[in-house]
Amino acid sequence: MIQFLFDTVIRALDLALIAVALSGVYSLIKFPNVALVQYSVTGAFLGMLLQQAGLPLLVALPLSAALVGLLAMLFNVLLFERLLEEGSAIALIGSLALSMILSAVFLLAFGPAAYRFDLPVAPAMRFMGARVTVHQLSTLAITLVSLGGFAAILFFTRLGREMRATATNCVLAAASGIGTRGVINATVFISGVLAALGGMTLAMRGSVSIDLGTQMLLPVFAAAILGGLGNALGAIAGALVISAAETFVTNTNFGPLFGQDFLFAPASYAQTASFALLVLFLLFRPAGLFTSEVNRV
Amino acid sequence: MIEASNIRAGYGDGPDILQDISMTASAREIVTILGPNGCGKSTLLKTVAGFVRPRGGAIRINGEGAETVPIHEKVRHYGVGYVPQTDNVFRTMTVTENLLMGARDLSRDTRNERFEALMTQYPTLANKRRRKASALSGGERQILSLARALMAGPRILLLDEPSAGLSPAMMHDVFEAIGRIRDAQDMCILMVEQNAYEALSISDRAYVLSLGKVALTARSADLLNDPAMERLYLGGDPDA
Repeated sequence: MIQFLFDTVIRALDLALIAVALSGVYSLIKFPNVALVQYSVTGAFLGMLLQQAGLPLLVALPLSAALVGLLAMLFNVLLFERLLEEGSAIALIGSLALSMILSAVFLLAFGPAAYRFDLPVAPAMRFMGARVTVHQLSTLAITLVSLGGFAAILFFTRLGREMRATATNCVLAAASGIGTRGVINATVFISGVLAALGGMTLAMRGSVSIDLGTQMLLPVFAAAILGGLGNALGAIAGALVISAAETFVTNTNFGPLFGQDFLFAPASYAQTASFALLVLFLLFRPAGLFTSEVNRV
Repeated sequence: MIEASNIRAGYGDGPDILQDISMTASAREIVTILGPNGCGKSTLLKTVAGFVRPRGGAIRINGEGAETVPIHEKVRHYGVGYVPQTDNVFRTMTVTENLLMGARDLSRDTRNERFEALMTQYPTLANKRRRKASALSGGERQILSLARALMAGPRILLLDEPSAGLSPAMMHDVFEAIGRIRDAQDMCILMVEQNAYEALSISDRAYVLSLGKVALTARSADLLNDPAMERLYLGGDPDA
């Protein structure tokens, strides 16, 4: 049970950073930016290149995240601001196209092979009966600090109040003296940073290849939708639900159900759990897990 | 305070909705823009506010050219307060948070002082200060929107149909509040309204628009007794 919980939390944190980034941007510019999953791949590749260039990991990680944040802002100014003038459907298609272009650039630059950060090999430890690695604990710490930092910005800073106001009512925010374009670009920057950190934590525990973005797309979207698309912190709860379902599918011994000693579902079936939950939520609770707002008319 | 000259404006690639409109509004007066649906009233207000960039003409605020200044800079630089017709509150925020959004650039003392003054002035908000704005009635939201704009201590107040969707009693309360603001503070209030007679009863001057042009302008008291106003307001031929 402890192992199940631990695996669920680790998997949830894989998804959470990118899902929070997706939901945060959606709350402001009202389109799901598919390219965010490729920003996470960009972050992972860039972090590795910076480490190979001789930078310590503790410098390479934040530097890569900041560069991806700037790249996300650049794409927003050059591409998405203009596409959004034509509507959110056009912007969504544009983000899909950008995602494919970035994938092609990665293929050209890195080929189809998987790459790893240069990290020392550390044996697994036992913690309350669960098997954990140092890399799992360090990525857990990075993710929790990043999410805590984002929540602190959102609820305790002037920028956070302006982000929430702009997300709630962009016209009224502008009429209250908020420079909404600047707020949106700041949010896009933060989302790029979070996505890049998400990609790097994934790569630190495994590897990064050009397929990473495609593999993350569905579970990240499922987590963001479950949390209520646009509710950045709800995306964390969505990630936990998706991860619990995925971990259940891959970690449960289905053998006794079929008269066998052992029968485990292949890891590739994990996405089926995401898909099934996504469809169920879209059918029965399309606004996500949290819909408590009272609306008088 | 506001001087618009020969304004032409529209949306996207569409035709001009405002065609060569000129108007003024000064401190200590309420100027109402009237006219039938589709005549360009709200577009004129949005153009003055900075949401719509004019295709031609000039807008001067306090003598400075302001036709290309966006709304958030007008709020900071010229002390403009804008109250939209619909979606006029931050629904997911409490009443208090809504009011504080209007006071982001004020010192703590000024902010607290204005907040308490508004709570005294609008007891309906004081009683619900911890409620989410989405739980307020239409009239309460309108008052909250007005109070949010007042928190910043504006010198110019732009109101887009403040009585839209309100009951007659609530409408009366809102207009009374607007009249008190003009009387208590040396403010310039530019208001777009559908309820002509209520609006004229508290305003000093009015412009009646027809098909994107100023068809009639006069002191409010004179317009109330002008038969041409009724024809225009009901969408009739201004030359009839």
